[in-house]
Amino acid sequence: MKTGDAGILTTTMEKAMEWGRSNSIWPLTFGLACCAIEMMAVQASKADISRFGSEVFRNSPRQSDLMIVSGTVTKKMAPRVRRLYDEMPYPKYVIAMGVCVLQGGPYNQGYSVVLGVDRVIPVDVYVPGCPPTPEALINGLITLQKKIRGETDR
Amino acid sequence: MVDIIEEPVGKDKRKIFRVKKEDLIAAMKSFFEQGFDHLSLITGIDRRDKIEVVYHLHSVERNEYIVVKTETINDTVPSVTSIWQSADWDEREQYDLMGIIFEGHPNLKRILLPEGWSGFPLRKNYDLSKVQFVNMDESGNDYASFDPGDGW
Repeated sequence: MKTGDAGILTTTMEKAMEWGRSNSIWPLTFGLACCAIEMMAVQASKADISRFGSEVFRNSPRQSDLMIVSGTVTKKMAPRVRRLYDEMPYPKYVIAMGVCVLQGGPYNQGYSVVLGVDRVIPVDVYVPGCPPTPEALINGLITLQKKIRGETDR
Repeated sequence: MVDIIEEPVGKDKRKIFRVKKEDLIAAMKSFFEQGFDHLSLITGIDRRDKIEVVYHLHSVERNEYIVVKTETINDTVPSVTSIWQSADWDEREQYDLMGIIFEGHPNLKRILLPEGWSGFPLRKNYDLSKVQFVNMDESGNDYASFDPGDGW
């Protein structure tokens, strides 16, 4: 973006859209296990996700942009996760939170857990941890914002 | 008449009683009449050659717990749903995960896993190498299959 002398901002339509989109990512109210407690902590006053424009946890997938898969995805839950993802409108993004969602975690050798939610839905940002701290999830959100704006981390 | 072997008190100070499978209903009825009106939980233990079934009973009035153990070699145990109604779901859970068949249960079917799941996951001889998948049809019914292409 370039700032003109007369206080005029010139940009492309695309950049403006990306800027607006990345600063109002509304997550879905969707918690599966203990990671959801940390997700709630992110939304609460100490970590405060609203500094990044994501404080509005929508109760309907039709109104949300981001799915934070927070917690163990069991095989029985996997078709439901897929259906919720399908009901979200484009553009939609997914953050995989916690090692259970990444590759099964402590349930890796179990009988009932999906070994990675990326076998069910496409994932944009992976946040490892058991559970990840609120700071880690905020870092994941900022990474997603950079990804939406087309910036690189390095 | 009912053959009850009493064991020394366990670590958690709960009295343990061993009952033969045939005497289970009679013994449980007498415990119920002694004031143990709450069936706290039912567990199963796989000892490879036999299955051990453990009942934790609680007396609400006296705040007292006892443990009743029985064992079976052919996976069948009489149901105690006629004594405690709450045994219904506990026994269904044990059937679902341990494969214990409770004779006389009014509705013995899987409670956690979907219908069509093969095997009982908490048994020692459960085959983990055969991965099973769960899918959902339009009306929300689950079904299990071995086909990975049938997945999500």
